[in-house]
Amino acid sequence: MSTAGRTTEVGRTRPTGMKIATVIAGAVIFLLLAIPLAVQVITAFRGPFLPFGVSTAKWSADNFVTLWELREDFWAVLGSTAVFVGGSTIISLLLAFGLAWVTVRTDVPFRRVISVLVVVPFIIPPIVKAQAYQLMLSPESGVLNQLLRLLPGDLVIDPYSFATMTVVQSLTNVTFPFLMIVPILTSMDGSLEESARVSGASWGQTLRRVTLPMLWPGLLGVAVLTGILGLGSLEIPLLFGQEAGKNIFALKLWNLISAGAGELPQYGLAAAWGCVFLVITTIAFVIYLRATRSAERRASISGKGFRPTIMKLGAWKVPVLVAVFVFVLLTAILPMFALLWSAITPYPIAFSFEALASQTQWGAFGEVLADPEFWASLGRTLLIAGASATIACVAATVLAYGIARGRRTGWSKGMDLFASSSVAIPAVIAGFAMFLTFLVINPVIPLAGTIVALVIAYSYRVSIAYRSGYSATLQIRKELEEAALVSGASPLEGFRRVVVPLLLPTVFAVWIQMFILGTNEFTLPAFLATPESRPLSVYMYAMISPRSAQLYQPDQGAAMALIFTLLVFAIGYGLQWAVSLRAIGRARRRLTIPGLGTRATAAVPNDPPAPATRAVAAQGLEEQRELASVAE
Amino acid sequence: MTTPHPTTAADGGGRLIVDGLEKHYSLDGADVPVVKGVTFTIEPGTFTSLLGPSGCGKTTTLRCVAGLETSNGGTISLDGRVLSTASSHVSPDKRDVGMVFQNYAIWPHMSVFANAVFPLQVSGSRLPKQEARKRAMEALELVQLDGYAHRPATALSGGQQQRLALARALAHRPKLLLLDEPLSNLDAKLRDTMRNELRRLQQQLGITALYVTHDQSEALSMSDRVAVMNGGRIVQEATPRELYYQPADRFVADFVGRVNMIPAVVQGRDANGDAIVSAFGTKLVTPCPAELGTGSEVTVTFRPESVRWHETAPDRPNVLPARVVRVEFLGEIVEVEVEVLDGRAVAGTLVARGAPLDSPANGSSVFIELAPPACRVLAD
Ligand SMILES: Nc1ncnc2c1ncn2[C@@H]1O[C@H](COP(=O)(O)OP(=O)(O)OP(=O)(O)O)[C@@H](O)[C@H]1O
Ligand SMILES: [Mg+2]
Repeated sequence: MSTAGRTTEVGRTRPTGMKIATVIAGAVIFLLLAIPLAVQVITAFRGPFLPFGVSTAKWSADNFVTLWELREDFWAVLGSTAVFVGGSTIISLLLAFGLAWVTVRTDVPFRRVISVLVVVPFIIPPIVKAQAYQLMLSPESGVLNQLLRLLPGDLVIDPYSFATMTVVQSLTNVTFPFLMIVPILTSMDGSLEESARVSGASWGQTLRRVTLPMLWPGLLGVAVLTGILGLGSLEIPLLFGQEAGKNIFALKLWNLISAGAGELPQYGLAAAWGCVFLVITTIAFVIYLRATRSAERRASISGKGFRPTIMKLGAWKVPVLVAVFVFVLLTAILPMFALLWSAITPYPIAFSFEALASQTQWGAFGEVLADPEFWASLGRTLLIAGASATIACVAATVLAYGIARGRRTGWSKGMDLFASSSVAIPAVIAGFAMFLTFLVINPVIPLAGTIVALVIAYSYRVSIAYRSGYSATLQIRKELEEAALVSGASPLEGFRRVVVPLLLPTVFAVWIQMFILGTNEFTLPAFLATPESRPLSVYMYAMISPRSAQLYQPDQGAAMALIFTLLVFAIGYGLQWAVSLRAIGRARRRLTIPGLGTRATAAVPNDPPAPATRAVAAQGLEEQRELASVAE
Repeated sequence: MTTPHPTTAADGGGRLIVDGLEKHYSLDGADVPVVKGVTFTIEPGTFTSLLGPSGCGKTTTLRCVAGLETSNGGTISLDGRVLSTASSHVSPDKRDVGMVFQNYAIWPHMSVFANAVFPLQVSGSRLPKQEARKRAMEALELVQLDGYAHRPATALSGGQQQRLALARALAHRPKLLLLDEPLSNLDAKLRDTMRNELRRLQQQLGITALYVTHDQSEALSMSDRVAVMNGGRIVQEATPRELYYQPADRFVADFVGRVNMIPAVVQGRDANGDAIVSAFGTKLVTPCPAELGTGSEVTVTFRPESVRWHETAPDRPNVLPARVVRVEFLGEIVEVEVEVLDGRAVAGTLVARGAPLDSPANGSSVFIELAPPACRVLAD
């Protein structure tokens, strides 16, 4: 027998090196998510302060007993949070569904422009949005209240009421559900509705009896994710809600751990609260999993390749356009205007042309740009966002490839679920749990308050990258790898030359998305950063929060917010541009094969590509589109 | 890294011997045998097809030969080199084979040229740059894609992709070419062209080829030999003609082409040694293996195109009165279904095919002739 060939144990086409990498990536993700949650649970059961290294720490259920003793408080928090999160989620979802419907399913003019305008606020950092709404709603000087005074009737919005806060929260969170609903609507098989119409149903009946029942599992999934996102964000409650919103979970948690002078912060009680809400979001996550599974089943029943039917708006065009304009006014134009006005006025004054002529000054921008701390915190922001996006993307992609290609075992199914689960962890809980973890391990590994701690914490959003990596791997048909093997490529060569190039576009797109999430992140660093490690979002908050005595400089804060937003825009576009340049460069390199010269194309150029590769090409296009929508 | 087996020139196709190949899949813990002791040999430079119905294990057999699946038993050897046994397995990149996948598996992120040159750049048979380029262009020329070398591979039509897959499989001049239903995604016209082209290339290069298909006309027209598979076993391995006219059993007879099957009982032998059997309430003369003695229950098979119809009964054996019940015009041919009459009663139905011009009218009475040499008897 010839001994020439290497003898392998099983006919796996995956390099064994990949197996090791998969296990390492799995371990990284497991530790990243499991340890902080475990520390939080342990803290809830071990005492009022830290669970280890302090004399008061012992196993007990005291914190949960306290929760129960303060049950009025408990119910108040649950109720307040439910109304705030539930209300804002419903409003966001209705707005997002309406806008998505208008852009995908109607013949409204300027559809592309509208979808860009809806997506733009995604890139504005949430803390900037919160600040802008605060300025815009200010009773005296706020531009929205000023506009309302022009209308008949005595309408003034109280910025600090619970209802205002809920609406503001919902307005800042429309883009996320919008981006998720658009593909659901686009992929819907129009012929199903058409057959309902042919059977004699009106548009309204069709919507109620056919469209919505078909879409609802998908929409439920979107609702759950939007809700968890809303539950986890601290920005709006922190800026608007110190009074009316003090029982909203995110703010409650925040207040519990920022103790007054001379008190020990109640970490144990806060952790108990965290546990309660973690149970709630776990239930929500299970609902989400069921919903998406059933949505997929419905999608696979309905045929593919149909265009959604387009609804003719007719006379409704104008009202629809007006409604869209009001939305854009409220979410993009007025907030940006309010920021600008605040940046160029020395103290809050109402807009007037007289004030514009006499009171405005542009010094705040110069001061910001001359502030070394601005540049330092900007540098930290980019570093933290870049490093965490890289860690998350690499670990998630490797694990996703390993799990998607490996044999399904109980272990791999569990890991798959776990790696997908970080969407179920609200950012406030993640921030708090990470904060506790770094405090606990500080005597051994002193990371608390450092940039490294922030990088680790930001990486917790790993499931975004995991899910994309997983579906991208499934899109790469296995034969593409097998073809490399029978061509004589070793498994590693095949992986490097076939799999990696095919996965890269997805990984880049996700990296950019996570990088922008990272630059915009406020909730996590609010729990974790110190003045030495704080990113731009936290530094900016210090400038606009009256409580940070010396730093309080609202005009500089507004100027900084504008610069911050412009930077994120520039980075988003810049990265997208760089990626597309790379793609063009590659195409060029492909076109010129040395020694061949460029021949005139001898062929029929209209030959449709074969179905097999068309799928991959379509996927590439899809990703470019996603990329575009993120960067817009 | 040195390649232990340098690739031989293209005119050196290898002899493939597959002996007692076994392959099981485990499904929910249970072991499901899919290939059950498949044995065949392909002589150097010849073209063999694996033909069988869907799910019979053709692809699995091919993938075992390629090394993409690990076999559970039996040996595979190529040109005297053992590629796999129950306990050892040479990985696909060390096997010196080329493969064309059913959906081509063209790498969409590479140009046409990059696809074709890939096998010459990787460890299996790495060549110096210039040499690799030359060989890749040769392979593209072979399939007439040299004018498309600089195109992105995604900008090719289905047929062109198919040819590129072939060029890629041939670029490193493997000893064995494996093809898994490479024509099934093409439209009927293109399929015919590609069929000829594939066969021409294989003969020109003298490469050994193993071709998987469930399309009998493909297998019959292209192959030197055809192995018919059913349920994980090879039921007959023969030349296309043998297979068609002397099927080993009812499955082969039925699977390869259309066939009439008549249950019959052997009554005795005539002077030529042919058997006289009773069928349709009368007697037929047919060649018959000697071991089938009087009283054996058998099936007489014959192809529709060897049935002839006449207006008046000719003075030859095996002529039966019949009534035409269906006449179907298929273009170059007409298909006629008749009821064979036993007195007034209907004894059975037969399908006949012939030239459209002298087709009988529907409902008319005809005489059906089954020439003895065209009949074949299969033991039940
Ligand atoms: N990975 C697998 N796991 C379990 N069973 C499998 C696997 N791959 C194939 N089978 C089973 O093995 C049998 C043979 O499959 P194979 O792909 O070889 O069929 P085939 O003859 O190529 O059929 P077709 O003409 O439809 O391609 C089928 O019953 C199939 O269900
Ligand atoms: Mg097959």
